[in-house]
Amino acid sequence: MSTTPGARFIDPKVLGRIRNLELLAKTVVEGFINGLHRAPYFGASIDFAEHRGYVPGDDIRRVDWKVYARTDRYFVKQYEADTNANFAVLFDVSKSMAFASQGVSKLEYGSYVAACLAYLSHLQRDRVGITTFDEDVVAYVPSSAKHFHVLLHTLHQARAERPGRLSVPLGRMAEHFKRRSIVALISDLYEDPDDLIQALTPYRFMGHDVVVFHVLDPAEIDFPYRDASRFQDLESGEEIPVIADSFADEYRKLMRAHIEALTTKCAEVRIDYVLLNTAKPLDEALFLYLGNRERLMRVR
Amino acid sequence: MPFTFLAPAFLAGLAALVVPVLIHLIQRERKEVVAFPSLMFLRRIPYQSVERRRIHNWLLLALRAAAITCLVAAFSRPFLKESVAAAAARSGAREVVILLDVSASMGYGDHWAHATDAAHKVVATLGAEDRCTLVLFSRNAEENVRATSDRGRLDAAIAAAKVGSDGTRFAPALRLAQSLLSRASLPRKEAVLISDFQKTGWERHEDIHLPEGATMTPVSVATDGLSDLSVSSVTFTRDTFSGEERVKVTAGLTNRGLTPYTNVAATLEVDGRRIDSRPITVAPNASESVTFLPFTVSETSMRGVVRAGTDALPSDNAYYFSLSPSRPLSVLIVQADGTDTASSVYLTTALGVGSAPPFKTDVVPVSRVTPSTIEHRTVVVLHDVTPLPSAADDLLKRFVEQGGGLLVALGDHTPWAGGQSPLLPGAIGPPVDRTSGVGGMLGFLDYSHHVLELFKDPRSGNFADAHFLRYRTLTPGPTDRVLARFDDGGVAMAERHVGSGRVIAWTSPLDDSWSVDFPKAKLFLPLVHEMVTYLAQYTEPTTSYTVGHLLDVSVPMAAIVREGTAGDTQSAAARKATGLVVSPSGQQTTIGEGGAPSVELAEQGFYTVRMQGTGGERPFVAAVNLDPAESDLAPLEPTSFVASVTGQAAVTAAGQSLEHPDLTLEDVERKQYVWWFLLVAGALALLGEAVLANRVSGRFGIGLMQVRRG
Repeated sequence: MSTTPGARFIDPKVLGRIRNLELLAKTVVEGFINGLHRAPYFGASIDFAEHRGYVPGDDIRRVDWKVYARTDRYFVKQYEADTNANFAVLFDVSKSMAFASQGVSKLEYGSYVAACLAYLSHLQRDRVGITTFDEDVVAYVPSSAKHFHVLLHTLHQARAERPGRLSVPLGRMAEHFKRRSIVALISDLYEDPDDLIQALTPYRFMGHDVVVFHVLDPAEIDFPYRDASRFQDLESGEEIPVIADSFADEYRKLMRAHIEALTTKCAEVRIDYVLLNTAKPLDEALFLYLGNRERLMRVR
Repeated sequence: MPFTFLAPAFLAGLAALVVPVLIHLIQRERKEVVAFPSLMFLRRIPYQSVERRRIHNWLLLALRAAAITCLVAAFSRPFLKESVAAAAARSGAREVVILLDVSASMGYGDHWAHATDAAHKVVATLGAEDRCTLVLFSRNAEENVRATSDRGRLDAAIAAAKVGSDGTRFAPALRLAQSLLSRASLPRKEAVLISDFQKTGWERHEDIHLPEGATMTPVSVATDGLSDLSVSSVTFTRDTFSGEERVKVTAGLTNRGLTPYTNVAATLEVDGRRIDSRPITVAPNASESVTFLPFTVSETSMRGVVRAGTDALPSDNAYYFSLSPSRPLSVLIVQADGTDTASSVYLTTALGVGSAPPFKTDVVPVSRVTPSTIEHRTVVVLHDVTPLPSAADDLLKRFVEQGGGLLVALGDHTPWAGGQSPLLPGAIGPPVDRTSGVGGMLGFLDYSHHVLELFKDPRSGNFADAHFLRYRTLTPGPTDRVLARFDDGGVAMAERHVGSGRVIAWTSPLDDSWSVDFPKAKLFLPLVHEMVTYLAQYTEPTTSYTVGHLLDVSVPMAAIVREGTAGDTQSAAARKATGLVVSPSGQQTTIGEGGAPSVELAEQGFYTVRMQGTGGERPFVAAVNLDPAESDLAPLEPTSFVASVTGQAAVTAAGQSLEHPDLTLEDVERKQYVWWFLLVAGALALLGEAVLANRVSGRFGIGLMQVRRG
C-alpha cells in the first residue's frame, strides 16, 4: 500500500469487509479528518467574505448596520458559503460498474466514495440526496437533512444489472436540482468526453458545483491481458476477438487519451475531475480530492 | 569423442519440434470469454490476424523445444563412440583370426573390395603384441598367413587374395578358427568373419563351439537389392541324323533377383564357334529354359559353353560342358577253335540288347586272334578257349594292363589243372561235377562289388534259379577278390586287377553246356551287362563337373577305354596311366603314375588332361562350373548367424559385446550414460515449462475474474 504523509489509508479490500456503509463512511472520514492539519468545512463556513451594496430584495437582516453607521450606506455581508448546502450524488449503476479484476468492484468502490462524501456532508449538516441511474434513472432520493440513511440504503440496494448511458439520465436529472447543489457524479465514464461535458454543462449553468469521480479498475487502466481471447462487453454482451498482447499498448494509449480529454474538458467548464483507481485506498482518494478542492477555493 | 545412436530411428521424433512452434504461432484463442466493462476502446483497435502468427513467448517455446529434443535424444540412446584401437589399447594382447570369404559369390559387384577393406581395417587395429591369422575360406578353409604381428605381411596377403570359383561353407572356416583360438596363448581371442553370409553356406546342425571367452564379430558385405541371372543347368538330347550324332542343348536360366531380365541374349558356343543365340526373358525369382539349334558331335571332348546376360556376378553367367560322340562298347568274344558259334549265342544275344551303353560284339576263334582284332576293343571275352598263342597272349596282357577288360569263362577247353596265367585271378583246377541232385547253386555273392551291387536289394534277381552241373575249380591268389562262390564253397567268380585293367573269371561257360538254366535265367542278361561294363570301366560320360570335384586318372582312362583306343598298337607300348592336367589358368599338374593321385578342379572353365601315349589325339576335357548354390545370394542375418554358431545371443557369455568385443557389459552401459542426463534435462525443461506456462496463464487469469455483483 502506498502511503502519503499525514494520512493513513485503508485498503479498499479491508473496507469491503465492513458491510455497514455508515460505519464504513465514519471509519474513513474521521480517520481522514484527524489526519488533516486543517478542517476544510466545506459549505458550512460562517467566515465573512465581503460586502456588497444593498439591492432591493435583499434580506434586511443581512445589512451590516455598523458599516451603515460609519458610511451611511447599506451594505450587505457576504459569507464563504451558504450553510446547509445540498449534496447530491449521481451514481452510475450500469452493468459495467460490476467489473472487478481484484477484490472490489467499481460499484462497491463508488458506493464507498458516495457514502464517505455523504457522511462528510451530513457532518456539516448539509442536505444529502442520491440518484442512481443506468440507461435511465433507477432511484431518486431528493436532498434532505434527513435522507442520509435513505441514501445509504439506496447505495446498499444498488445493483449493476442493465446497460448504461450517461447523457439521457443526466439530462433528465438536471431539472430536479432547483437549489444550488454540490453534484458528485460517480461513474466509469464510458462515454465520449464531449457528450459527457454536454450533459454536465446544464448543471454548471444552473450554478451547481459539479465533481466527477471517474472510477476505474486497474485492469481497465493497465490492460494486463496477454492471451488471444474473445472479449465480451459487459453491458451489450457483444464479443470481439482480441490479441491482447498486441492490443495492450494501443488500448493503454486510448485510455490515457480518454482520461486526458476528460481532465481537459472538465477543467474548461470548471468541473472537478478525480480519477479513482479501485486498487487505491479510499481515503487517499478523498484526501487528494479535498486537498485539491481546498487549493481551488483559496484561489477563488 | 563422437556420438552415435543405438536407436537412431527415434530421432524421427524431432519432427515433433514443429508442434510447439505451431502452437506458438497459431496462438489459439482461449475458450473462456473475457468479460470486460466496455469494448469502447478495443473496438477502435484494428484486428490483424497476422498478429496471431507471431511468436509471443520465446522462452516458453525454447523450453518446450528443449524438452522435446532432450526426450527424443534420450530415447535414441546416444552412445559414446570409441575407436577400436583405443579400446584395444585398454586391455591385454589379442589373438585375432580373420576369416575372409573368397567364394565365387564374393565376386558380386564391389563385395570383394568391401571385404578386403574390412580385413585391412581389422589388421590396422592390431597392437604390437597382438597376433593375427588370416584364413581364406570358400568350401574349404586355408590358413593363408599363420599367427603373426607383422601387419605388412597380413596386408600383403589380403591384397594378394583373390575371389575363387568355389562354393561357400562356413563350417570348415569356423572349425579352423575354433582350433586356432583354442591353441592361442594370448588372453583375448577374437574371430572376425568377413563374408556375404550366403544362406546356402550354413547348415544349422553344424556343431561349432568357440573357446570360452572368444568372441565372434561378423562383418557382412552383403547388400540389398541384389540382381543375378545365372545359367543353372544344361541338358542334352542326342539324335542320329544321316549317320551323324546331333545334340540339342537346352539351358536353364534362373533369375534370383528382384528385377526382371528382358530379352537377354542366350548364346551357345561349341569349340569357340557360335552355334546359336536366342533372346530370353526371365521374371524376378523365376527360371526359364532355352533350347538351341542342334549341332553335330563329330569329335571327342568338344568344348561347349552357354552364356546369358551380364550382371554384377559374371561368373555364373556361363555354363561349361564337354561332349563326345556316344560310342558302343566294343566286345571281342574269343571262343575255342572248332566250336559251334552257337556256343556264344547267349552271350552275344545278351550284349545285343544293350543300349546304355550299347555293345558291339565280334566272335572269333582263338586261332584267328591277331593284334588287329584286339585293337579298339573295350573288353575281350575268352569264352572257354584253349590257350592263346604267345604273341596274342602278350598282346592281351598289354591290353589289360593299359585299361582293357578281360572276361574269362572257364570250361572244357580251358587247360586242365596247373594252368596259370598272370591275367587270371587264381590257379585253375579240375572241374567239379555236381550232377547229383539239382546241381550246384550260388551260395555266396559279394553284393558290395560293383558287378553284384545291382542284385543286392530283395526281388532284384534270384540266383537260386541257376543250377550248375559242373564248374572249374579256381584257387584265387592273395590279391584276388572272390565275388561269388557255389554252395559247396567253390569259387564261382573272382577278380584281379592287372595294371589299369580288370579281369574277371567265371568258372563255368556262359552257355548251357554246364548249366541248363543259367543262361536262360532272368539275371543272366543284367549280370553279363554289369560284368562287361565294369570291365570296360564304363561310366556315364560326365559333361561337366562342379568346382571342388577331385579328378583322378581313372576318368580320362575310362574315356580312352570308352573311345576304344586302349588297344591301339601304335601307342600302346608307350602308354602309361599318367596324365598331364592343365587348368583353365594354365597351371599344370601330373596325375596318375609318378604324379598326384588326383587334382582338385578348383577353377571354372575347361581342364584338359593329356594322357601319356595318346599322341595327337584330342585330350580329355573336363568342364567345370560354379556350385549352383553360389548363385543364391540370399544372405543370413549376421548376428543371428553368430548366435547360431556360438549358441549365444549378440553378447557373448563372457559379457562382451559383439560390436565392441573389447568391452564388458558394464563398459557398454557406461558409454550409454548420456541418455540419463538427457532424460533428466528433458524432465527439468518440462518442469520449467509448466511453471512458466502457469505464470503466463496466471496473467490470463485476471481476465477470468468473475463479474461480481455489488
